[in-house]
Parts: sequence; structure tokens; C-alpha cells
Amino acid sequence: MNDNSTETPAESGSGSKPYWNPYLAGLLLGGALLTSFLILGAGLGASAVPIRCGAWLEHLVAPAHAQACDFFGKKYLADGVNPLRYYLVFMFVGTFFGGLLSAVLAQRVNVSVERGKAFAARPRLMLALVGGVLVGYASALASGCTSGQALTGGALLANGSIVFMLCVFAGGYAAAYFVRRQWHD
Amino acid sequence: MINTFYGIDQLVTAPSAKTFLAAMIVGLLFGFSLERAGFGSSRKLAAIFYFRDMTVLKVMFTALITAMLGLSLLVAVGWLELESQVYVLPTQYGAQIVGGLVFGVGFVLSGWCPGTGVVGMASGKLDALVFLLGVVIGAIIYNETYGLTSGLLGEGTVLLAFGIPRGLFALLFTLTAVGAFYFAEWVERRFSDGGKYLNTVFLRAFSIVLIIAAVAVFILPSEPGTEGAASTGSLSEQAMLEAVEAAEDHIEPEDLADAIIRGEEDLLVVDVRTSEEYQAFHITSAVNVPLPELIDYLAPYRNQGRIVLYSNGMTHPAQARDALDRLGFQNVFMLTDGLQGFLDRCLMPVSLRRERLSDTMAERVHTWRRFFLDSKTSDAVTAARVSGV
Repeated sequence: MNDNSTETPAESGSGSKPYWNPYLAGLLLGGALLTSFLILGAGLGASAVPIRCGAWLEHLVAPAHAQACDFFGKKYLADGVNPLRYYLVFMFVGTFFGGLLSAVLAQRVNVSVERGKAFAARPRLMLALVGGVLVGYASALASGCTSGQALTGGALLANGSIVFMLCVFAGGYAAAYFVRRQWHD
Repeated sequence: MINTFYGIDQLVTAPSAKTFLAAMIVGLLFGFSLERAGFGSSRKLAAIFYFRDMTVLKVMFTALITAMLGLSLLVAVGWLELESQVYVLPTQYGAQIVGGLVFGVGFVLSGWCPGTGVVGMASGKLDALVFLLGVVIGAIIYNETYGLTSGLLGEGTVLLAFGIPRGLFALLFTLTAVGAFYFAEWVERRFSDGGKYLNTVFLRAFSIVLIIAAVAVFILPSEPGTEGAASTGSLSEQAMLEAVEAAEDHIEPEDLADAIIRGEEDLLVVDVRTSEEYQAFHITSAVNVPLPELIDYLAPYRNQGRIVLYSNGMTHPAQARDALDRLGFQNVFMLTDGLQGFLDRCLMPVSLRRERLSDTMAERVHTWRRFFLDSKTSDAVTAARVSGV
């Protein structure tokens, strides 16, 4: 046990390689962000894609209604442009394949529901879903997530983004106790 | 000055295969580094909230500080103009505080955030897939209940570093991060069996390198261009013509609008048109000073803050600027394309524009219109009550 945790192996999959030194991984992540600033003139983003998927879906099912909405209609569906024709959608695809490449190289790809051994898969998926709904709502409200707001805005020293980041930790620590069992072994 | 290859306007208004490819390559790096850090695992991500594994804090702060110092160094040596070349998220405290708190709850429930969720999905985690479906649903719920929280959105102006000089803020931030690294290592050692970098040469060296970079950012002037230009005495004619060539004596309408909204100190906006024209409409906060009285009026403001002159076009302000320059004023700017430019570029409704605006640009236009028109349009049009500032 002692050996395992100091080597920080992936939780699932026995043959997987240890994670990188977190400071070096952070350096690479910071490099990715800096590259994004210099090449794209904008930072990283992730939540824009599921939000735009929501706009796209709603437009598919109820076009007139979606178009009339203050949020989806004005922000994503004006001028009849496909909301998914957007640079962050391509960044999202890149993120997927970058993650896949790293996971394959480290033998960490493993179809599973991640949870503590003493916790069932179904309630774990329910928590993931409810958490996702809250995150989606909050990202739409704050126009960004941990990537677009906390990391990107934080590196630019944008006041609101730094406040957002502090609030994410505050909200997380406040609720952590109530959902701790999902990680119990 | 180096140019960012694309810039947000081109990314959004004129997307091409190249901009999409560039975004995808950035994404590859992003996803790869997240997975290397261990962020393809919800258990590892959530562990920070139970003080078992503080990797999230270490990686996030390292990345943030690295990018911040890198950007600050590029800005300090004059290679990058932050506000014009990089899209900066506007600050909307209400939305960001409430959004952040709700986000944090969702984060600890699910163990994911959108970026790491993508990497989790790539690693085969079904809980990540379900989480991302939840995010889509959450966005739809937000859209359907938009009115409930739209009051939190506010104007959304760009605010940076809480008014502290950038270099100083960067240094303080870096010291905080280094403190957080040691705290994280200590916590891991205390509450679990991690913390293996505590008291290592590696972490000491890493911290020292970051602090040295931060001190360099702190020592370097944050805006070398302005310091160089602020030499004593009047600019020579040659230097002045060069400044004209470089349009250094201009201020763009968008920049003026933002400066007024954020309440830039010592900004004096001067309308040099006739008082009838001024009465009919003027830029909020502008004072009306006829050309003959300009020199006397501006005397107390010589080289104090920024003076921006505007008329309908550019000829009168340009002539006035030259006259003032010969009198030793070095802080006089002309509004590019005059009031007409301001109306066309800042206040024209998005729907009437020929070019398609980016979301961010459209948002800025809405902000400007709200600020410069809403409180005043009716008054300005009926003219009677606007009596000058």
C-alpha cells in the first residue's frame, strides 16, 4: 500500500504506469495554455462545447423555441450559423485525442465506473449526472469552467476568474462531506 | 511586438481549416498534459476535497503560474499587448461567485469538470460520459430558466489584478503558489501517505526558479512603451511625425468606451464641437469645450492622465492636438474616426452590421450600448435635459 501510493499508480488497471510528477505535468499544462494564448489569442476552454451541444440539440428538437431564447438564441443561434462550427469544438476533439494518446501510452484505458469498492455503480452514476447538471448550469452562468475561467482567466489575472476559482473550492469543500461515501473502499 | 497568429476575432468571425487545426493541436497538448497529471481519474480529482491527494492544487497552480509568468514576461519586454491581442474574460462578480459555488458542488459530486471529463471519457470512464451528458442538460436548464439569474450578469468589464500593479500581483501570486505547494505536500504527509516532494531538492529548486521568474517580472517595467515615450520636453517634429505614422496619438473607439466604463482615473474626454451638437448627443462623461477655449481649459490637465479630443471627424482634433503638442502636452489623444467612428464601431446594433461579430464582441457592443445609450438616449434625443457634465 505504502509503495503504491508514493508511486501514485492509476487507481484502476494493475499494469498502468505511474502518473507524472505533478509539477512537471503542471508545467506542460501551463505550456499548453501559453501556446494557446500565443497561437489562438485566447486561452483554453472546455465547457463551451457541451453548452453549445445543448443549444444545437434544442435547436434540432424545437428550432423556433430555441431561437427565441435569450441565452441559446441570442448567443449561439443568431445568424443561422451552426453553433458547433466553433474553434473550441475542435479544441475539445484535440483534448479527447491528447488524453487518449497519453492514457494508451500509460496503459490506463479501462472501461469502468470509477468509485470506491464499497459503493455501487448506479448511485455513483447518479452523482456524476447530478454533478454534471450543476456544472453545466454553473458554467453557462459564469461563462466558463475550470479551464476557461479558473485556469485561463487566472493566468491573465482577471478579477472575476480568480474569484470564480476561490468559489469553486469553497463550494467543493462545503459539499465534500455529504458525498464522501462514493470513494469508500 | 509579436503577433498572435489568429486572435479571437478571426477565430470566431472568420474561422477556417487553419484556425480549427490550430485549436485542435492546442487541445492535444491540453488533453495530454491533463491525462499525464492523473486527471483522467475522478477519484484522484475528488481527493483534493478530502485532503488525501493534493495533485489538483499542485498541477493547477503550477500551470497557472507558468502561463502567467510567461505572459507577463512577454508583456514586460513589449512583445505582447495583453488587452488588444489576447481575449480576456470580463468580470461579472455576481455570476462568477454564484456560478463558482454551484460549480464546486457539482465538481465534488461528480468528481469531474468539463476538461477533465473529456480526458476521463478518453480513458474509458463511464462516469465521465454520464457527467458530460449532465453538463449538456445543465446548460439546457440554464437556458430555459435564464430569467431567474440574468440579474447576476451585470455589465461585464475587463478588470485585472484587482488594481494592483501587474508585476507586484504576479510576485505575490507566485509566492502564494509556492506556499500552497509546501502546504499541499505537508497535508498529504499528514493525512495520507503522500507528500513525497516535501523537503526534496526538486521542490526547492522548482520553487526558486518560479520565484526568480516572478522577481524578473516584478523588476521589469510592465509597460515599457509608455515609459520610453514619456521623455522630458516636447517631442521633436520628427518624433511627432513618427508618432502620427504609428497612430500613437490615436485612441480607438473601443478602447475609449472601455476606459470610460471602467472609470479610468484622470481621463478627460473633450467634445470640441458646437454646443448645439453637443446638446443633441455626446459621449457620456465628455465635456464640451469650444476650440478657442481649449488651451486655457486644458492647462491644468497638462500631462495629467489622458486627454481625448473628438469631433465629428478628425481634422479639428488633429489640429488641436498639434497645437497642444507644441505647448508641451504629451497626453493628448484623438478619437479614431471621431464621433462617427464611435457610433459605427461601438454603438451600432449588432443586427445592423454587415460583418458578423464574435460572441465576445457582440457582448461588448451590448455593454457599450447599455452604458452609453440606455440612460441617456431618450434624454439626448429630446436634448433638453442634457446640460453638460
